[in-house]
Formats: sequence, C-alpha cells, structure tokens
Amino acid sequence: MIEPAVQLNEVRKTYRTGPIEVPALRGISLRIAPGEFVATAGPSGSGKTTLLNIIGGLDRADSGEVWVAGQNLQLLASGELARVRLRRIGFVFQTYNLLPVLTALENTEFTLLLQGVPAHTRRAKVEKLFAEIGLAGLENRRPAELSGGQQQRVAVARAMVTEPALILADEPTANLDSATALALLDVMERLNRNTGTTFIFSTHDPQVMERARRLIRLRDGQIASDEAHDRQAAVVTAKGGDV
Amino acid sequence: MRSFVLLIKISWRNVWRNPRGTLLTALALGLGLALLLISLGLLDGGHEQTIANGVRFGPGDVAIQAKGFQDSGSQELLLPAQVVSTINEFLQTDSMKQVLLGASPRLLATGLLSSAANSASVTIIGVIPREERAVSLIPQRMIEGTYLSDDNPAGIVIGADVARKLEVKTGSKVVLMTQAVRQPGTKVKDVTGGEMQSTLLRVKGIFRTGIEAVDADVIHLPLPVAQTLLGVPDNQVTQVALFLRHEGDSLMVAKSLRKRLAGAPVEVLTWRESMPMLAQILGLDHAFNYVMNGVVLAMVGLGILNTILMRVLERRYEFGVCKALGLRPAQLAMMIVGESLALTAISLAFGLALGLSVEHYFATAGLDLRLVFRTGLPRALVVDPILYSRLSPARIVSSVIIVFIMATVISFYPALKAARTKLPDALKVL
Repeated sequence: MIEPAVQLNEVRKTYRTGPIEVPALRGISLRIAPGEFVATAGPSGSGKTTLLNIIGGLDRADSGEVWVAGQNLQLLASGELARVRLRRIGFVFQTYNLLPVLTALENTEFTLLLQGVPAHTRRAKVEKLFAEIGLAGLENRRPAELSGGQQQRVAVARAMVTEPALILADEPTANLDSATALALLDVMERLNRNTGTTFIFSTHDPQVMERARRLIRLRDGQIASDEAHDRQAAVVTAKGGDV
Repeated sequence: MRSFVLLIKISWRNVWRNPRGTLLTALALGLGLALLLISLGLLDGGHEQTIANGVRFGPGDVAIQAKGFQDSGSQELLLPAQVVSTINEFLQTDSMKQVLLGASPRLLATGLLSSAANSASVTIIGVIPREERAVSLIPQRMIEGTYLSDDNPAGIVIGADVARKLEVKTGSKVVLMTQAVRQPGTKVKDVTGGEMQSTLLRVKGIFRTGIEAVDADVIHLPLPVAQTLLGVPDNQVTQVALFLRHEGDSLMVAKSLRKRLAGAPVEVLTWRESMPMLAQILGLDHAFNYVMNGVVLAMVGLGILNTILMRVLERRYEFGVCKALGLRPAQLAMMIVGESLALTAISLAFGLALGLSVEHYFATAGLDLRLVFRTGLPRALVVDPILYSRLSPARIVSSVIIVFIMATVISFYPALKAARTKLPDALKVL
C-alpha cells in the first residue's frame, strides 16, 4: 500500500479567546495520496485555513494524529517542525509571499540556501524551474517590479524548488484577476502532473474548485463532502464520448 | 555559512528599503555621534592644556621636595645636598634623557614685597633663570620688561596683580623681606637663622599668566639671591621640579625616583599629588562629561531602538512567511541584529565624517573661548583662551566600539520580538 502524502486521524482544534472557545476543526479524518491535486472549500470559518496550517506544521492540533510524508507532526518539537517545513513542504500564500529586498531568483533559492545547497546547484534548479513556468528573463527583478501573477509564479517556484512532498496553497488566486489566476493554475497543474508533487489548496475561487481533481468541502469544522472530480471524464461525458 | 551571508545580505538591503528614512535616521544619529567625538576631543584637549599649564606654572610633572613640605609648606624644609646630587645623577641617565624636558631647582619661601606705595605678601621662588626658561611658562608671559637672566643678579620679576597693587613698573625699586631659614647652630652667608632679612631689588619684568593665584602672589628671583637672603647653603633648595616631554611618563619617573631615593627624607610627588585640587577638578570634569556623553549615547541608542522596533512591528507578516518557509527564530533574530548594526554603521560613517572634520578644525585652529566669554575669560579659568581639541585614535576606536556594543545590545529586544513571531497568527492577512 502506498504511503499517503497526508493522513489525518480525528484531528480537533479549538481556538480560545478569553472565555470564548471557537472549535475550528471537529474530528477531521482524511487521507491524501501522493500526486493528488486537492482543493478544500467552504464558507469563512469552516476551517479551511486551520486545516492547511495544521497539515503544514504552522499550528498544532489539540488532539488526533497528523501524518505528513510519513512523519507524525504532533510529536515533533518546533525546531523539527521548522526542518520539515523547510525540506518537505512548500507554501504559497495569498499575498506578500516574497521578501521584497530579494530578487525573483534570490527569493526562489531562499529555501535552498537555508538547506546549504551549493550555488551552482541552486542556480541550475532555479533556471530550470523559471523556464518551465514562464519566468525566464525575470530573475533579477524585485517583487515590486513584477505583476501579481508573476509574483505568485515566483512563490510557486520557491515552493517547488526544494522538491517537496507537498505544496500547500492558501487562496493563491485571491488577489489575481481571472485570466492571471487561470494561468497560475495551469502552471501548478502542469507541475503536479510532471513531478507528482501533491497540491492542496484552500480556496473560495470557483476556477480552482473546478480544476481540482478532488474537492473537499468543509462546514463548521467538519468534512461536508469529499468528491473526486475527474475533469477529463466530465469533459468527455459532456461531449458524449466514453471516459 | 551560506545562510549567514544571506542574512547579512537581507539585513543590509532591508535597511535601504526606505532610503530617505534610513538616511534621515542615520543623519540624526550621526549628529549625536559627531557631538560625542567633538566634546571628547575638546575635553581631552582642554584637560591636556590645563594640566600642561598647571604643571608649567606650578611644580612640574614630578616634584622632589623635603618630606613634609607638601603638607606644611614650611620654608625650613630643604632638600639635603646629597639628595640634590643624587637627583642630578639620575637626570643624566639615558632613560631620563629620553623623557625629560628639563629640570628646575627652586627655593620656595614666603615674604613681604614693598614699594613706596604699598606692600604685598608674596611667594618667593628662587630659580636658575636659564633652567627656568626651558620649562616654565612664566618667562613666556612677560607683559613688561624681560625675564630674569643669569647675568643680572639683582633683578626680580613679579605678577601683574602684584605690580598693580604695589604701583610699580619695570625698573622700579622694591624691598623684599623674609625670615631666614633656621639652620641649627649655624650662620650661613652671614645670616643668622630665624632673623628677618631684607634686600633691595629692581623690577626687571612683569608677567601675566591669567591665573589669579599666580599673578597676585608669585615672584621670581635668581636662586643665589634667594639663597643669600634666606641663609641657605648654595647646594640646597626646597624643590626640584621635573618637566617631562609627555605627562603620561610622570608615574614611571616618580616610581624610579622613589626607588633611588628610598630612605632619604624626601617626598616624590606627581602633579596629581602636588596639585590635588587640580586633579580633583579634572576628575569631576571627566565624570560630568562621561555623564553627558552617556546621555548623548542613550539618545543615539533610543533612536536606533525606535527605528528598528518600528520596522519589526511593521513586518510581522513577512517574518511569519520567513518562519513558515523554515527560517529558525535565531536566524530571524540575527537578521534584526544585522539591520541594527547596518544602521549603526551608516550613522557612524556620518558621525565620524562630521565629527572628525570639526575636530580637525578645532585641533588646528582651536576654539576661541573669547567668542563665548565676550566680557573676558573668568579669572579662575586655568586654560589658554584658545582651546585645542585633542582626540586620540584610542578614543575614536573606543567610542566606535562602545556604539557598536550598545547597538548590538539594544537590538536584542526587537530581535527577540521578531524571533517570537507566532505562527499562524502572523500570517493572517488583515
């Protein structure tokens, strides 16, 4: 049996603000296989971001097990969690992903530098990725000199460059127009197919939900539905053909 | 190592994210540092001049005198002839020749100087004119007439205030009266110990030092005349004043002399011991200036803290992203300390450029205190009217080091704040 990229067993998380308790996750269990392209969707307060934070080791569950790339994150100290984030997980945030004082190339190789990868290896990896995702020629530009879409592509490149097991993208298209969002999704989908890296999104964006091959809907901290979403089959069916 | 270089690069570039803000902050901090350097230079220069004046108007860098003279001031306490001879031998050694500017044997007493118009109590200093000229500043401060010379044994030079009181000028006749030194059972130069003696002298010159205690009290006359008047043998004096090329050698010279004169009834005093009030005043001045400089440094430090802390508080989300990517808290802290040091380095560059330029001007042209004291310098001020700055390389280096240490320590608080950025709260987009 193939080890899952992510496995959650009865994960619970409650936020406390003084006397007020807000349950964010109420016993979530799920399993995500390597290479999946998954979107989590739901209204505000449904627990999407909390779920991603716990999978990414940015927050800890109050109870339950969180397995990522074969490691139980609940048992790791904060320093070990940081190492897991550096080596095994890539992040694409909604906005202000990049360090404003570093160029596109320097932002992308940032995590490789932290890992101690030599310069020639770093440069080769970054240049290859930039060519793949349409950033060639933009290496020496700083974030302020890039469009929103280009900045997000650099963020995707930075997330991919360490060849992580898993990429977590929290509303990556929220600040992009629809054309740019589509282009970004194309990039991520292509990378997912070519490299087998698992992608997990949290999103409100219907375009992202449409492109995901699996859609997990959350409501009030619980999984409301978990649907495999085969776009190719849907397209063939719509045209009247066989899958 | 690679990540360390990366952090330094990020720190340096972060300082320049807001170039105008950084330059304004650095200019403000640099002005504070420049002020620090200028005040240190003027302080050290002023002290150097004060010590030099005090030493060269007074008992020299090192004074050798009879034991008990410092406390009693009794003119009966004289250096034994053997001691004077030992001192002379010591001064001829190679090591002393390198550090010695000159030596002046002196006979000190009190007396009454009278003219037709008035009388004044005075401090009599019998000197060898040739040797006194080489070391004392009084010969350079003549305002009338000339200083003593070896070929004019009957001359006397007096302070301007004494001359004014006695209503005398160059060429005037005065009578000097004093009590002969008691030599037990002896009669020296036809003088019986303890008897009042007087002599007629002609004013050869009048000096003004600007120091009231000197101008209203001191008279110089040739040593042989003083010895005859006081009934002191030719080979005895009250004090041998040594003047050194560098004041800093006084301790070493005093120590060597004490060793050589061990067992003799003498006291060997550095200027700090022979002029304790001057030493205390300078010590107080130093302490006051250190307090003021501490205030300036504190203001500079608070300026750095304010700038760095504000920048840390504004970048909470950015630090959240860094931590999410795998940057460790210690690395984040190092980045902030790096920014503080970078800002300090830029401020220091401004401060050094401005401070050293102004200091150089004051070191060469000097600061004319008469511009401040337009009605005239206070009579108690024991400095020349023009104050020269003296800022040593050691002072500059120590100031730079202190500022860097302060900047490092000050940056710990904002660095700790950055390092403690909590995930995932810091990543919440407002």
